[in-house]
Amino acid sequence: MNQDLPAVIHEVATLEGHEDRAWHVAWNPTRPLLASCSADKNVRLYAYSKPTDPAVSEPKFSHISTIPTGHAKTVRAVAWSPSGKTLATASFDSNIGIWAQEEDGEAEEGAFNPAAEWECMSLLEGHETECKSVAYSASGNLLASCSRDKTVWVWEVHPDHDFECMGVLMEHTQDVKCVAWHPTEEILASASYDDTIKLYIDDPQEDWFCFQTLPGHTSTVWALAFSPDGRFLASASDDTTIRIWERVQEHKWEYVDVLEGHERSVYSISWGVGKPLDSDDAGSLGWLASTGGDGIIYVWELGVGPSAKDPSRKALTHRVIAKVTEAHGVHDVNSVVWCPRAGFEDLFATAGDDGAVKVWRVVPS
Amino acid sequence: MQSHAEVLNFLENNPPPPSCHHRLPVISIAPQSLASLAASLSSSSSQPVSLSQVLRRVSVFCRDVLGFAHVYDTTFARHISLLEHAKEFAERKSGNGKLPMLASACPGWVCYAEKTHGEMLPFISQTKSPQQVMGTLVKEWLGAKWGKTPDQIYHVTVMPCYDKKLEASRQDFYNEAYATRDVDCVITTGELQLLMQDKGWDLSIPVPDENVPRLPPLELAPAGDAADPDAFPELLMHPGTSSGSYLQSLISTIVSSAPDPGTLELTTKTVRSADYEEFTLTHRETGQVVFRGAKCYGFRNLQNVVRKVGRDAGVQVGRGAAGRLAGVRGKVVRKGAAQEDKGYDYVEVMACPSGCVNGGGQLRPVQAEKQLADAEGFSRDWQESGVSLGAEESLPAAPISAKWGDREWTKKVEAAYWRTLPTPPPTPPADGKPSGSVSPFEYADEYAGRVLREMTKAAPVEGKVEWTTKLDDAAESRRQRLFRTQYRAVESEVVGLAVKW
Repeated sequence: MNQDLPAVIHEVATLEGHEDRAWHVAWNPTRPLLASCSADKNVRLYAYSKPTDPAVSEPKFSHISTIPTGHAKTVRAVAWSPSGKTLATASFDSNIGIWAQEEDGEAEEGAFNPAAEWECMSLLEGHETECKSVAYSASGNLLASCSRDKTVWVWEVHPDHDFECMGVLMEHTQDVKCVAWHPTEEILASASYDDTIKLYIDDPQEDWFCFQTLPGHTSTVWALAFSPDGRFLASASDDTTIRIWERVQEHKWEYVDVLEGHERSVYSISWGVGKPLDSDDAGSLGWLASTGGDGIIYVWELGVGPSAKDPSRKALTHRVIAKVTEAHGVHDVNSVVWCPRAGFEDLFATAGDDGAVKVWRVVPS
Repeated sequence: MQSHAEVLNFLENNPPPPSCHHRLPVISIAPQSLASLAASLSSSSSQPVSLSQVLRRVSVFCRDVLGFAHVYDTTFARHISLLEHAKEFAERKSGNGKLPMLASACPGWVCYAEKTHGEMLPFISQTKSPQQVMGTLVKEWLGAKWGKTPDQIYHVTVMPCYDKKLEASRQDFYNEAYATRDVDCVITTGELQLLMQDKGWDLSIPVPDENVPRLPPLELAPAGDAADPDAFPELLMHPGTSSGSYLQSLISTIVSSAPDPGTLELTTKTVRSADYEEFTLTHRETGQVVFRGAKCYGFRNLQNVVRKVGRDAGVQVGRGAAGRLAGVRGKVVRKGAAQEDKGYDYVEVMACPSGCVNGGGQLRPVQAEKQLADAEGFSRDWQESGVSLGAEESLPAAPISAKWGDREWTKKVEAAYWRTLPTPPPTPPADGKPSGSVSPFEYADEYAGRVLREMTKAAPVEGKVEWTTKLDDAAESRRQRLFRTQYRAVESEVVGLAVKW
């Protein structure tokens, strides 16, 4: 154990049920729902609630629904729209499914029943090979996806689950592993097997285009996460490091820090606001969770503090505050995602090659 | 492989005419390629250079330096494509085939549809592209006039697009009887420029008589005469788009064939950019929509057209997936039906943003700018794309400027495309009789009618043969073979390797 660390990671729940490796999890941003996807082509939905008994501090999770997606191959990633009403699935069958519940005009908001049937409302075709990642922009107006076909697609979300293709970005030279949106602006980032990260914006006169390429990783970049305040971008790589990039100009990002500790490929990272251990710390940038092929989960606290080189200047600081090894036994851990809902900032979920989804909580030690 | 080296290699090894193995070398150049060369020349010269000047200079190079026997541009072949295309649209409109009809001149689009959108194939026009019509004209009509069989001709085309090489090598354009292709070798504009560089040819130097129109008065021999191969029409700049004017020529045909053309009003609407525009013909009094078309360029807009056509026509888009996803298309149709506009009748689809003037085979912009994207706005050559951009390399302060460079250049090529010589003054009738001279398009129509009559061996009809004339059955089936083609879906499975990622 790591008794010298200021926090520990409690296992809150182990959610079994997928019949093949679990790839990804997504927390519904507005409702107490967690979705997971798997090579078994299913999406499983879990509800959770804050315990009424104050003596029991952990939320309780229960499986409420399984969506047999009908995708012909693995469902690699899932993403909720910011409204929480729509779920997107990215599959190795090259398609993206858009799932929602039939809207009943008369029904009140409170009548939401997550166990009611989720239907495929739209199918986004275009990728030629395995779709690897899918993400909604902060406003919910845009959806991005990426694929082994080396492309990144941007779709505009229209009413009635209709979509319009806004851009097909053919910038990467290899498989694109991940797409991520800036938390407030329409800036898109993608990460690839070509070891680079690319950043895109819309040219209102024209199409989406790549305004910057971030080289630096020495192997595949698997995952991306913007800081909650949007000033930083973290990237996770097969080179076992996590790099932090800072926005120094409107359209310019620079490498500022590296987080080392993982022994193997870092497959997934998530950057949440966290619950800073020192509540007086005004410089906190939140908590970053990372995991990967070594089965280790690290939780890093990031902040702004005096620079090591020149204490009179401010610089990005980082420290590990908690760590779990063998999070899914001997298996790879494929994803880690913080819960975005207020009151649950210390909660995150992971999905592993053992087919299990686990929920964890960071608790000061 | 089809390349400028292959052309040189062929010409060097082509035995001289007495040999029975001699093949007559013929070259046909697309107007968009001429525009690319013209824009490149104009940017380094004080006076703009016209397409006909470029054609003259390239012709002299191809004949005198390379040894081609004949040099053509492909606009008369395009004229035939447009005529046949309008005929096909009328057939579909009358219930014989599916609407909307989608343009078929862009091989990038056609190959893409065959590979990933088999359900779109019934909508794609079966009329041959200008390149392939030119192949048919050169190998089967001009060849016959010259006393050559198709295999005794070596036909090269110059195109703004790499995918035209794929089009030329399609099985449908291979002549089994003579074991030869309608177009033997396609080179891009850039490869033509390489040929000129190799041979030290300076295209900026004028050639004699380059400002003299080739056919001073466009006069026609009496009806019934054969078309004269030496009076092959050239540089017919069809009004509309620089990518072939497919939509515009359909609209013109519909308007001119309407009972009262004056009652039709054309409105255009830009959907998002100049690359996606809608054109609607409305009856002025009744408000009835007679025709709804769109011009849709670029891979991104193409996706939306595929989705829209699939939705409007109620066909399943894409490969689809088994199970619950299969019924999705129907569901959306039902939901959207009420508020959805009536679908299109026709879409001019081109895979490149800005169309063929911005094709992948065109010359690079003259300004030596750092390219973040290629001429098509995206990179097909993965090796060359921006991965190697060094960490220390600073990007332009306004990151958009590199893209604007491309766009500005494409505008110059577009302008060069439409830059024609001043129309020569009408020649006064020499002998006082009323002049038989007609407009280039009337001349081309007449010429096309004669070509059709000769190529289809049509039985005599009352009056002269026009493109729309209904011929005898045998002639109609020959017309079909000569000027139409077909498409087939390519099975392309997502590779099911046991990939960990």
